[in-house]
Amino acid sequence: MKNIFFKSFFSPWVISVLIITLLISMPILVIFSGIWNEAGDFWVHIRTELVPQYIRNTLILAVGVSIISLIFGVNLAWLISNFDFPGRNFFDWALIMPIAIPAYISGFAWAGILDYTSPLYTFLRNNFGWNTGQFLFFDILSISGAIVIFSFALYPYIFLIAKAYFDRQSGNLFEASASLGRSKMYTYFNLALPMARPAIAAGLSLVLMEILNDYGLVKYFGVDTFTTGIFSAWFAFGDKSAAMKLAVYLMVFVLFLLIFEKMQRRRLRYSGVSEGKLMSRIKVSGFKGWLITFFSIIPFIVGFAFPFLQLVYWSFDTWEQFLTQGFIRLLTNSFLLAAISALIVMISSVLIIYTLRLYHSRRLKLVSVISTLGYALPGAVVALGLLVILSWTENFFIQHWGLRIVITGTWFGLIYAYLVRFMAVGYQSVESGSEKISRSIDQAALSLGAGKFRNLWFNSLPLLRASIISGFLLVMIDVLKELPLTLLLRPFNFDTLAIRAFEYASDERVAEAAPAAVMIILAGLMPVLIINRLIGRTKI
Amino acid sequence: MIVLEAFNLKKKYAGEYEFAVNDFNANILKGEIVALLGESGCGKTTILRMIAGFEKPDDGILKLNSQKIASKDFMTAPEKRGVGIVFQDYALFPHKTVNENILFGLFRLSKDKAKERLIEMIALTGLNGLEQRYPHELSGGQQQRVALARALAPDPSILLLDEPFSNLDAMRKNELRFELRDIIRKAGTTAIFVTHDTRDVLAIADRVFVLKKGVTIQQGSPEEVYRKPADSYVASFFGKTNIIAVDPNSSVLEDCFGLCIPKNQHLENLASIRPRAFKIAQENTEGAFEAKVLEQLYFGEFLELICETENQKLQLIVHADPDFVVSSRKIWLRVHPEDVTYVKH
Repeated sequence: MKNIFFKSFFSPWVISVLIITLLISMPILVIFSGIWNEAGDFWVHIRTELVPQYIRNTLILAVGVSIISLIFGVNLAWLISNFDFPGRNFFDWALIMPIAIPAYISGFAWAGILDYTSPLYTFLRNNFGWNTGQFLFFDILSISGAIVIFSFALYPYIFLIAKAYFDRQSGNLFEASASLGRSKMYTYFNLALPMARPAIAAGLSLVLMEILNDYGLVKYFGVDTFTTGIFSAWFAFGDKSAAMKLAVYLMVFVLFLLIFEKMQRRRLRYSGVSEGKLMSRIKVSGFKGWLITFFSIIPFIVGFAFPFLQLVYWSFDTWEQFLTQGFIRLLTNSFLLAAISALIVMISSVLIIYTLRLYHSRRLKLVSVISTLGYALPGAVVALGLLVILSWTENFFIQHWGLRIVITGTWFGLIYAYLVRFMAVGYQSVESGSEKISRSIDQAALSLGAGKFRNLWFNSLPLLRASIISGFLLVMIDVLKELPLTLLLRPFNFDTLAIRAFEYASDERVAEAAPAAVMIILAGLMPVLIINRLIGRTKI
Repeated sequence: MIVLEAFNLKKKYAGEYEFAVNDFNANILKGEIVALLGESGCGKTTILRMIAGFEKPDDGILKLNSQKIASKDFMTAPEKRGVGIVFQDYALFPHKTVNENILFGLFRLSKDKAKERLIEMIALTGLNGLEQRYPHELSGGQQQRVALARALAPDPSILLLDEPFSNLDAMRKNELRFELRDIIRKAGTTAIFVTHDTRDVLAIADRVFVLKKGVTIQQGSPEEVYRKPADSYVASFFGKTNIIAVDPNSSVLEDCFGLCIPKNQHLENLASIRPRAFKIAQENTEGAFEAKVLEQLYFGEFLELICETENQKLQLIVHADPDFVVSSRKIWLRVHPEDVTYVKH
């Protein structure tokens, strides 16, 4: 193994993999240099006054969202996987749909629904005489409101992974439990859940990463966390080193998450997943069946139907206005940026995975995994790391060659950042496709005298086509939805759909934000079908 | 005492044309070890699953200890039946130790009683020293014993075993067969096991049901079924055999082998003769016939000869001693009348 690695070190394939990995890991490493930055007066203020509050808010959000999203995500996954109840087939994919609405969009939609002037409140006030004051029920613009919005926007991560696991769990285990006299309830809590723990932990850590990543929702709801702190340090106070120190704090949270997930994953070794017979679904009709239906409909309504319908309703008023305000430019900006980024991510992914196939080296594999770490990092952190690198490069050019180049605030900087942040999405879809292709196909082609590039072009690419296309789409949609990173790195006066939606909503022009939000959601619904087909394995 | 009764049990899966199980009838006595034998798709596993309560019969009645447990419109839940089952993949709970697996079904007993029973089961299945291990730390044979201990612990009325030997190392299979039989006997339980391997049946079953396409073709003791197969299918299932067409009018047995055995009174029109039944004889001995050796295959335990009889040009499989040397292409063979069995088509 060692020999092969060193012998092949100078092959163009391996070198390009190393270069990609280095490019991606640089901004991540740079953040840690923030620890040694000189601390200004402002930092002392932040550390003593704000950081404790950031930590408290982050923990409250994490605990609250974990509880609600676990209750809905895990139980619904179990119910959908094992029982046949009224509407089951609809909920099988409808329960994933909230994933298409970014939390900040769902947030301002719900704020609108519960607002004094909302159609719902107006209707209830005029027809039923309900008058609860400025808000219907409760002030959603609070940390508890943020918990609810996050939970119903993010539970699909847990639902998807848990369901994929439950779908493959061996039916024999549950039949054995039944024949030993145990009830279904007991079996669920004492067998199914403990065995599914690694899968559930994987879903939960995705949810928590999304919370750490979020800027839009916490900003809109007035909940101060590390991301809002980074933004105000950077924009309001222009204190780069304070922003970087906050980013380091955020990284510590991320690290804890990664370790937690890794510890759980080690248990997967004996997971109770069978190759053979799967459970057949049990029919539940009557009252019990409808009870499950009712339970399933809550997250669908809260996470998707209500906010989506509210946005569509607003869009009817503002659609024409939206079309005239530089609509074409906005659309080309967003989609072109997303498409170029996705293309670069996919080319890099294919290059890495194909090289791994060719050289089959464990060290190379370890190195290449580093390139996927960006997904765990909040967008604001990636953006900060990149800003530092880009300004270093600009300074370097001026000092050594007297060349004045501009790369901060350009498309180049943005695309570079998306590559860092979303490399894992492309990497994983190509990797899962590649695992299904036997290595002997490469070996056959090479032994027939085809060069490595010829083999890639005529064999691997056509065989990987489906995974490349789905990876491309997933990256594209992630870029379309991305907010904090884009806000920090965008060129001057440059808007994407996500920025337009967020900025209008922040300016209390929610109705004008709606059309852009609807477009993001519609684009986001596309991969819902793909994801369902990729992860889910249907059973009879 | 009858433990389990099945009357005309029928089962058809949705979307299938043929019955998976068609009119299965059985009375299983206390302490019996019964085998359901057949190729895959013969319905043997479906019968097991209906007894366990994982499938509902379309018709017929199942009674356990004279209590109805399943019929067309009645079904006792599996957790209420008191039926133990050992799955083909053992289905041990991967996150629980050997002890925890065995204790799983003992929740109706008091803590002390459960502990007592656990120790009893560990001793019975010889799992001493492995109590704190997790399933993935055990060998295949050990895993099977844990599954057995777990199923036997709540003292089920009947123990079901799905292909108990298919996952085991071929080298140790024989040993493990007798080990399993001893454990079942010592526990004093009634057992039904499903298999496609006649060697399992011959080694440990008291009674066997041979199934084909959901129908019971023959039942009886393994010896009976081996010696007097009901039809050519059963005869071939239990090892190689020579099936010879004997129409009521033909005299092939007499012409070929010089056998004068009574014409069969029933309408069976085939005869089955096992390869071992043919003995090598001296030239021109009384009752011997001449055959030409076409091919010889060495199997270690025996020598297989493909022969052709001189007079009727009938091809035969003959198993001779492994040290027999075929010195000339012509040999003489003899067969005893009692080794010839009439079978149905």
